[in-house]
Amino acid sequence: MSPLHRQIRQTLTIARRDFTATVFTPIFLLFLFAPVIMTSFGAIGGMGAASVTQGSADKSRLVAMLPEGSAAVVRAADAQLRPLVRGDATPPPLTLHPAVRSAPNVARAMLDAHETDVNAVLYGTLAQPVIAYGTANRADARYLAAVARQAALLQRAGAATPDVRMERIATTAPTVGGRNAAAFFAVFGIFFLTLFLSGQVVGTMAEERNNKVIEILAAAVPLESVFLGKLLGMYGVAMLFVAFWGTVLSQIGMLLPGDVGADIRQLRPAIGLLPFAVLFAAYFTTAFLLLGSVFLGVGAQAATMREVQMLSLPITIIQVAMFGLASSAVSHPGSALTTASELFPLSSPFAMAGRAASGAQWWPHLAALAWQLLWVAVFITIGARLFRRGVLQSGSAKPAWKRLFARR
Amino acid sequence: MRVASTDYAVVADGLVKRYGERRVVDGVDLTVPKGMIYGVLGPNGAGKTTTLRMTLGIIEPDEGARTLLDGAHPRDVGDRVGYLPEERGLYPSMKAREAVAFMGALRGLDWQTGRARAAEMLEAAGLGHAIDEKIRKLSKGMAQLVQLLGAVVHRPDLLVLDEPFSGLDPVNQERLEALILAERDRGATILFSTHVMQHAQRLCDRLAVIAGGQRRFEGTVDEARALLPQQVHYVPSHGDAQLATMLPPTARREAEGWRFALPQEGIEGLLRRLIDAGYGIKGLSIERPGLHDAFVRIVGQAVPEAKA
Repeated sequence: MSPLHRQIRQTLTIARRDFTATVFTPIFLLFLFAPVIMTSFGAIGGMGAASVTQGSADKSRLVAMLPEGSAAVVRAADAQLRPLVRGDATPPPLTLHPAVRSAPNVARAMLDAHETDVNAVLYGTLAQPVIAYGTANRADARYLAAVARQAALLQRAGAATPDVRMERIATTAPTVGGRNAAAFFAVFGIFFLTLFLSGQVVGTMAEERNNKVIEILAAAVPLESVFLGKLLGMYGVAMLFVAFWGTVLSQIGMLLPGDVGADIRQLRPAIGLLPFAVLFAAYFTTAFLLLGSVFLGVGAQAATMREVQMLSLPITIIQVAMFGLASSAVSHPGSALTTASELFPLSSPFAMAGRAASGAQWWPHLAALAWQLLWVAVFITIGARLFRRGVLQSGSAKPAWKRLFARR
Repeated sequence: MRVASTDYAVVADGLVKRYGERRVVDGVDLTVPKGMIYGVLGPNGAGKTTTLRMTLGIIEPDEGARTLLDGAHPRDVGDRVGYLPEERGLYPSMKAREAVAFMGALRGLDWQTGRARAAEMLEAAGLGHAIDEKIRKLSKGMAQLVQLLGAVVHRPDLLVLDEPFSGLDPVNQERLEALILAERDRGATILFSTHVMQHAQRLCDRLAVIAGGQRRFEGTVDEARALLPQQVHYVPSHGDAQLATMLPPTARREAEGWRFALPQEGIEGLLRRLIDAGYGIKGLSIERPGLHDAFVRIVGQAVPEAKA
């Protein structure tokens, strides 16, 4: 046998062992079908995000409060101008109301309403039109001004276009759009952070198994404490990561143009910005602990680093699934899907963070946090028991998942 | 078996562990009096490690019960127990002093005291130069010693050592023996497993032999040795093929002379017949059998039983 032939044979021997060792495991099936599952969940997530945006758009309005005779020309002017504005700049639908005596106050109240987002209000007369608009809706106000001018022209052909008085109103109520944006920000933010950070937990028990330190730990400390300790250690790492990048990004944010800052100010959670930040941190914590405890328990069953690596894809899928579920839920407040995602332990932190943006009550959050921490305890207990039974029994004992697939 | 647990550091009663259909440990009893060095002897795969792990509460027995240190559940007296597992394990990136202190901290010793004691103990064990070395830079024997110090840094009342001598060179084996004796003199109870008889014979106050998952013997070293008759080592002045017919049937030839069990009626009659036949006596000694022979006998009996 030539040296080259021998080397090829040796190489193929190694390749064969690695191939069979990888493929003939149940974890490989999860890995194999991961793209299908991931695509499904990605679609769910995408639909959720789309429906959040759509939900906000559906509730936005332009309002015209003008004397009765002007309604027809305003509607005609809107019909003429609306096709000229396309894409993202398309203004919300125009609603006509009869003129009222205290129009400025009514306009202000409309702009400050909780239930619907009135972006701009046209009142006065077509000869002396006034546009009141919310801080972030200047484009819609300009469109409404154009409608007023066009309507005036239609009413009195050949006359000069009227001057439109623009009034910017500082609104106090969180808008539906702002609430939805905050909800989506919360869900996506927690998803993004846990995607990066909680997956790190999966391989932490591998170090103890490889170094044989686990026997020392298991003899001295209850396994539940070992699991919780490792989880909290990694949570500390995650918090350091978040603190570092939070500081860096906040400093970068100060250098950004004003428009970007204005966009961020559009996040108007119903519960208030500071409580929202507190709840965001709390739900990030529980999301990390919940997903981390599941990943830790699953990862502890992996016998080799290869198995740990192969678990990373199913883990990402679970995270994307929870994101998809929660983002769908925030777009349908009060639906069965929302309730389910708020109750299901792994999606609960995401969904409840979304709820913090849309509802002002505190007690559901306190209950949810307690519920989520209870499940952290449950997952840690299950993970520790599976580890004790499957791994610590002896060197030859198969992990629980292997026993599940083992032939009798 | 029911034993009052107050005088015992370990009381294990009918421990059973099954892996699938196989009973790896099959009704083992252990009673380890306080302040003793107690050996658990057995061949490879006898169930020693599983017994110790059940005793310490690392795994739960399928049947039976065990208590440590005045009748407590193992989990409740973790801070009073030290343990050196068969598979040695340390974090490679930890420094020696930190590793010892870490193991003490797991058993309730505060870090500051743990670090101070670790430095003293490493110095005393001849590892003063390695106090701030990372474990990955130490030799296997040195790392093993570090782990052993970690098992005793919190001054436990019960020290459990699973195959503590395996992998150690003779110098470190002596150090370990000295450390075990020092721990016993301090008042600790030591329970250790081994299949190397010399250590057990030198150290153990009492011992149990486990084979095939069952306890086959329990007693002192002398009681174990008394299971076999004394051995006669006879060297004739000159011999021939006929000599073997005059010796007991169990006699076996050695490099020099013959070895056989001391006959029940004594040796005098046999010697007289050998002298009369002209074989003479060049050398003669009557020896008590060692623990090794007793162990081979106990385990040898157990193997056919287990197969049956």
